[in-house]
Amino acid sequence: MNTILQFDQVCVEARDRDRNRVVTPILQSVDLKVEMGERLGIVGGSGSGKSTLLRIAAGVLSPGLRLTSGTVSTAGVNMLDVEPKVRQEMYGSSVALVAQSLGEALTSHLTIRAHFRDTLGRDVADETILSSLDDAGLDGAKYLHRYPHQISGGERQRVLLALALVRSPSLLLLDEPTSALDIGIAADVLATINRLQKSRGFALVCVSHDFGVVGRVCDRVAVMSRGQIVEHGLTEHVLATPSASYTQSLLASIPRLHVRIREPQLSVQQPVVVVRDLTVIRSGSTRALDSINLEVGKGEVVGVIGESGSGKSTLLSVMCGLVSSTSGAIHDGNGFDLSTPLRDRPLAVLSEIQLVFQNPDDSLNPVRTVEQSMSRYTHVSRDEVLAALDAVELSQQFLSRRPSQMSGGEKQRVAVARALLAHPQLLLLDEVTSALDVTVQASVVKMLASVQSATGMSMVIVSHDIALIASFADRLIVLRNGRVVEQGSVDAVIDAPTDPYTQHLVKLAATTIRK
Amino acid sequence: MNKRIVYCVLGFHAIVALLAPLLPLAATDEQDPGATLQGFSSAHWLGTDALGRDILSRALHGGRPSLVIALLATALSAVIGVALGSLAALAGGWIDEALARLIDFLLAVPTLILLLLIASFFGHDPFVLSVTLGLMYAAPIARVARGSTQVLLARDFVRVARLQGGRGVNLLIGEVLPNVWRVVLTEIAMQFTWIILAFSSLSFLGLGASPPTPEWGLMIAEARSYMTINPLSVITPIVMLGSLVLAVQALVDRE
Repeated sequence: MNTILQFDQVCVEARDRDRNRVVTPILQSVDLKVEMGERLGIVGGSGSGKSTLLRIAAGVLSPGLRLTSGTVSTAGVNMLDVEPKVRQEMYGSSVALVAQSLGEALTSHLTIRAHFRDTLGRDVADETILSSLDDAGLDGAKYLHRYPHQISGGERQRVLLALALVRSPSLLLLDEPTSALDIGIAADVLATINRLQKSRGFALVCVSHDFGVVGRVCDRVAVMSRGQIVEHGLTEHVLATPSASYTQSLLASIPRLHVRIREPQLSVQQPVVVVRDLTVIRSGSTRALDSINLEVGKGEVVGVIGESGSGKSTLLSVMCGLVSSTSGAIHDGNGFDLSTPLRDRPLAVLSEIQLVFQNPDDSLNPVRTVEQSMSRYTHVSRDEVLAALDAVELSQQFLSRRPSQMSGGEKQRVAVARALLAHPQLLLLDEVTSALDVTVQASVVKMLASVQSATGMSMVIVSHDIALIASFADRLIVLRNGRVVEQGSVDAVIDAPTDPYTQHLVKLAATTIRK
Repeated sequence: MNKRIVYCVLGFHAIVALLAPLLPLAATDEQDPGATLQGFSSAHWLGTDALGRDILSRALHGGRPSLVIALLATALSAVIGVALGSLAALAGGWIDEALARLIDFLLAVPTLILLLLIASFFGHDPFVLSVTLGLMYAAPIARVARGSTQVLLARDFVRVARLQGGRGVNLLIGEVLPNVWRVVLTEIAMQFTWIILAFSSLSFLGLGASPPTPEWGLMIAEARSYMTINPLSVITPIVMLGSLVLAVQALVDRE
């Protein structure tokens, strides 16, 4: 067989720009071999070196990184060493890379057709472009003259695939091909990748943090942790009988349907918030939320799922008062009208409902220490801050840290701890784990479960991951286009979903990882 | 420009401005009628001007008036600009609209002409000049502060602070200003150089520092008729003024 990609004892270091001596290993003695037509997945958490590995395979070494030993051969050539001209020629014809961030990968002022002309030359026939778009599952004629901002994320990913494959490379490198996409759309894109690989026979290397993605498109999988490949084998074997402890913890952290982190409580007492016929109309006529009715009981955990644009985040924003409703009523357990603007609410009412945001990098003030962030508005003593940190399993050395000195999971814990200090009756969690690695996600969800059982507070948790929500919530609500399309107890919804979208989600979640 | 060169130039200007009176230099107003418009000599290293005054001594003293006024005016413009801009963004609605138009108006007024007017009414009072300069140059700072406050107010950590009871000026001081500061600092340093240039221009036009004060703009004005006889009398203050302005701009350019 022909080897298309080979890594031999590759070591890569990062140098600290200011202090030249500090050296961090990014890749440590990585060995890897991909034959023609093979499909390899690389799985690991953030910072494991998987993207660096993929970029080196494409002949790109980010600034600040240095290859210290070992050899890389892509289609028989070390692409890091060759003349820029040769490398340019190899792109697309022998190797193609589809980078991670969908938003930046296409040039915003060029049409789809112009992108193809950039790749293939000005005199390329439209038929060629059309057929390659058709291959990627897009109706080519419709997209030829569109600009990147006029197409959706899933369509963009398909255009990128078509662009990467149009010159028939023998090796396709994918970096997190679906991380920015809704689950349903992601599954369709992965199916397209599979179909293209089967019909064209190129070798595929797919990097992802998600075993589900790799499980769908790859025969073999390499698991990376801290720059090393800790496990390597057939995907089925690794998934069924993982040998490395890191792989085991990674697999154990994936939320599964019917595996609960927190037992459901179905005896709902008095409500902490009541929503009646709530409608939010944005920019003229778009109904972000449409006649929503919802009651959250004391101590209850309500899960909200829906695809992007379904109104999940808007619902949370209205409940806490950051967005005002167009019509309908919303009040708390004492009958206080929650359509009152934030600045006119008494502090006691403000504290009742707290929100934790999705993006841990944005939810803490970059110039403040943890202690300052936590006590500035709540005016609590240092002991109370320490107790709150303790509840989210952080030690007291975090008191003086700033956001730049913490990881995503740590920041998210601080954000939760800060919300707890206000002693809310209702905690709103907006995709709080989606920016985190799966192992970190599992520990944050466990922490939330223990906080909930210790304080008995109500929670509304929004996520696109039905398995995660099902493991945690008492009740599920499914939103689409601003409307509630399905609701009920977690078991009822998962065992017998009635809405087609929910059915699709449940089916996908059940087949993500073969047990 | 190399970072080290920038620091050296700035250090030189700071030391000279602070210590000029203590240095073993000829008195700035000491005239030597027998030795006017001379070139390099051991008595006068950079020669003498039309009245026989030592150019080196006058050039080293010449930054002091501009620096004092520029520091005062910059401090004033920073305070006014940041307050105006961030409050406008916080208030929103018609207040924001009105303040934004006021900023536009100030930006549209030709600075030098207004300064000439003020100086001809109120004379050479350095305090009046500082206040006028401070007000005029607050507008660009206010515009930057308003823009970055608007961005920050939409960030999640500010929204969380609102949910925990942060509001009004308290919210501004607690969450927004420490972050606005980083962005605005560059703009403030830029305005500092513009203010130095504006004051020197005024002196050049005869409405800033008054003779016999050693001041770069005034020195250039006094010497330009004799430029061909002793070029040093013009080149020296220009190099001093130019190096200071360039060094400050290079410093903020790096950040």
